[in-house]
This record gives sequence, structure tokens and C-alpha cells, in this order.
Amino acid sequence: MISSVFDLVLRALIVLAGTALATFALLWHAPGDPALSIALARFDTLVTDEVIEMVREEAGLNIGFWPAFRAWIGPLLWFDFGNSSVTGREVLPDLLVAVSYTFPLAFAGLAFGVAVALLLAFVATKRPGGWMDRVAVGVASLGAAIPAYWLGLLLILLFAVHLAWLPAMGARTPAHAILPALTLGLGVAASLTRIIRSSILEARAQPFLPAIRRRGVPSSAIGRDHVAPHAAVPVITLVGLEMAFLLEGAVMVEIIFGRPGLGTFLVTAIEARDFPQVQAVVVLTALLFVTINLVIDVIYRVIDPRIGGQDA
Amino acid sequence: MTLSAHGLSVVRAGQAILYPTSVCVSPRDRIGLVGASGSGKSTLGHALVDDLRMQGHVVAYVPQSPDEALDPLWSMAFHWREAEKALGLRPGAADRKTLFSALKIEGGDLRKRPWAWSRGMQQRFVIAMALMGRPNLVVLDEPTSALDPVVAAATMQLLDHCLRESDTAMILITHDLGLAARHVSQLMVMDGGRIVEQASTEDVLEHPKAPASKALSAHRNWLALPC
Repeated sequence: MISSVFDLVLRALIVLAGTALATFALLWHAPGDPALSIALARFDTLVTDEVIEMVREEAGLNIGFWPAFRAWIGPLLWFDFGNSSVTGREVLPDLLVAVSYTFPLAFAGLAFGVAVALLLAFVATKRPGGWMDRVAVGVASLGAAIPAYWLGLLLILLFAVHLAWLPAMGARTPAHAILPALTLGLGVAASLTRIIRSSILEARAQPFLPAIRRRGVPSSAIGRDHVAPHAAVPVITLVGLEMAFLLEGAVMVEIIFGRPGLGTFLVTAIEARDFPQVQAVVVLTALLFVTINLVIDVIYRVIDPRIGGQDA
Repeated sequence: MTLSAHGLSVVRAGQAILYPTSVCVSPRDRIGLVGASGSGKSTLGHALVDDLRMQGHVVAYVPQSPDEALDPLWSMAFHWREAEKALGLRPGAADRKTLFSALKIEGGDLRKRPWAWSRGMQQRFVIAMALMGRPNLVVLDEPTSALDPVVAAATMQLLDHCLRESDTAMILITHDLGLAARHVSQLMVMDGGRIVEQASTEDVLEHPKAPASKALSAHRNWLALPC
């Protein structure tokens, strides 16, 4: 178990290193002159050749790929993301501010989505093929088919405009997070419902359940001990992936509701070719995905030690 | 106390799998339920176990393969505790030591999960779980067909040994007449969802009456299985 977790961590570190190199290379070789973009973002107009050269030197764009990569990756190991090429401010505090808007929203959306999905899946699997099942699957399919930008606008129209119960734009109070979280959560619920439902049905069809029932084990205990753990494995994967996607910045939803956050942070940074900022977001995203995958892999091994191919 | 279940029947998708059937079992009975594949042996076994349990009798069931009895996610200790709890026993109340030594699985590590045990040991563990509550009847559905012949023979001998001292009756579901001949004294022959012949093992083997019994008996001779 311990050695297999060590393997997983090692693999995660390799993935992180590869991601850092790949994104740096992509951004470095992207078409167009980054110095020009930075200069334009910084000075708006009146950009002369001297200004562009000055920016190139300041941003460390004139020293070649590998020296630039080393200059960036070295401090990064100590969580120093450097300074923004445009504003000159440190990247980390700004990034943390963006995260402080996005993460709570993402967790609220995920929690809401998981709750709705569990409820729908339990209702659906009460009598598979029955009318409640069909309604629940129908609701889930509808949810998957509705794009976030349309659902978001619909929610704004209903709850902010017609009923005037909730604020629509901005992020001043926790109440401002309700509509965006609902929008995110309904999307999550749609995909999760179908997976949870099919996992439960599959787990209920396992060959050993009839014999356990004939042993006299009550059905509540069978559901808890023998159905739920088997159904959990595929569900945990999807919840983890959904969480990673949401944390990465629910860009669309943040823009619809005019919320600051990672989405806005990233879009602004890319437009200005602000290398340190873009790379900070990419590294954070990679770190999140890798960490979440690592946690999922460890949970798998706890639930079912056969995964990972070692003995009990 | 004689156990009896009447009018057991099973219909699936509009088709009768098991026609209304009654079964009576006395303590210490050794009954073989034999018949070709698809004749309804397992269906009758399941229906009988479920019916007698509903009547409040302690009836144990051992399926064909340990994969059909043990959850791969849980340790052997968990399965044991779970079975004890289902019987209303205190943890550790069942005489594990005696059963384990009788079935020769004392060496098994209970903290491990089923797949870390050999299949023969898994199956004997399942039999031990079945016997822990001193059941009135134990129904074994092809209990050795997933095991190799040597382990299968040893398992059946150990089972005989365990049952010798108790009043527990046994129904052995099998298509292997040789196996039945060695371990049971009566045979119930099934064909097409009905019991077509019920007599002592010797009678069925030597003077089969029903066509299904004749076919089974003929195949036994042809295969020259020992009796």
C-alpha cells in the first residue's frame, strides 16, 4: 500500500514537471510578439520600438528558451510565481484573490450537484424502469442538454428579475453565489445522476448478493456494506473530475454572472500575454488535477486493494 | 422436527421454471437433488431455502462458487461477523475454532479478503459460515463443481465429518450422480421443473423408473464413475 502510494506520488510529480515544460513551450512559441502584447496592455497606445525592446528585456524574453524556463521554474519550486509582466505586481496575491472567489463557488456547486444527483439516483433506482426512474433520467438528460450560459440567464430572469429574490451580478455577498452555484450544480447533477444510477444498478446485480441475503443479512446492511462500496468506485472518479473542472474556474458561469475569479483572471492574462499569470493558472490547474487524481487513486486502493495489483 | 414446504413454484417471464412442488426433510436426512442442467434443481433449492426461512427455520445455503458467496471488498472476518449478526449471535459466539479445524481452514488469515485465499479454502469457509448457526437444514448447490477433483473430494469428506455429529439435514444439489451416490441416502430426480422420481439412492441408481433417472443413471455407467 505504502509503496504503491509512493509510486502514485512519483507519477504525479512527473506529470507536473511535464505540464510545466509543455505550457511554457506553448506560450513561448505562440505566434505574435509577446513583448508587443505586453507593451500594448501596459501602455495602451504610443508603443515605439524602444518601448517594446525595453519590455522584452524586463520580461526576460530576450534570453532564449531554456534560460527563461530555468528562471521561471526555479522560484516556482518555492511557490514564487514571479511578477506580472503587465502590472508588475506579484502574481500570487492576485491569484489567491481569484481563487478565493472561484473555489467556494465550485465547492458549493459540486455539493449542490452531488446532493441532487444522489436524490435523483435513489428515486430512479427504487423501481428501475418505473415511471419515477423515467422521470429522473429524463430530468438528468434535460439538465445535460441545457448549456450553462442559457440556464444561467434563465435563472437570472426568474430569480433576479421576476421574483427579485436573489442578486444576479457581482460577488459582494454570499447570496451573490447562489445563482452561479445553482447553475454549476445543475450541470454537475445531470451527468452524475446517470452514473450513480447505473452504478447502483450494476452493484445490485453482483453475483454474491443473493447468497448474502439468504444468510439473513437485512437489506439495509446489504445496501450499506455490499452495494454502496461497489457503486462508489465509478462515482468517485466522476466526482473528482467534476471537482477539478469546477475548481479550474467555471469560466462561463463567472462571466455570465459578472464574478471575479480564475476565469476572468485567465482570460485577461492570456489577452495581455502575461506569461507569469497564465503560467500560474496553468500550474495551479495541473496541480489540482494531479492532486485530485492522486486522492482518487488512494481512495480506490482503500476500497478495493485489488486495484493497483498488489496483495491484500 | 420435520421441515416441510408446500406448493413451491416459480414462474419467470410467463413460463413455469418450477411447477408446484412439496418437499419434506427430516433431521439427519441426506438428500441428493439431481437432474440435468436446466431441470430446475437450483430454482427448487432457492425456493425451498427462502420458504423455510420465512417459516422461521434456520436454513443455510452454500452456492456453487465462493464468488457467489463472498464480497471481494470485505475481509473474511467481516463476512464471519456479518453472518453471526444475521443469526442474532454475539460476536465470537459461533464455535469458529471447532468448525475451522473440522474444515481444515485454521491456517487462513481472516484479515485477508476472499481473493487472497485459495478457492478450496474459500469454499470451506463458506461451508463453515453455513454451519455456524447449527441449521436445521443446509442446502448445497453444486458445492464442489468450482473446485479441482482432489480438493472437491476432500471438501465433501470434511462436510460429511462435520454433519455426522449434528441433527442438521443436508440437500445436495448436483448433476454428478457419482458424488451423490457417495454422500446421500435419498435422491430426488428433477426434470422440466418437476420432481419425477424420489427414492433411495440405491433404487434410483439400480432401478431407475423415470426417463430422466434412466438417462442420468446410464450416463453414470457410461462414464464409469465410482459409487
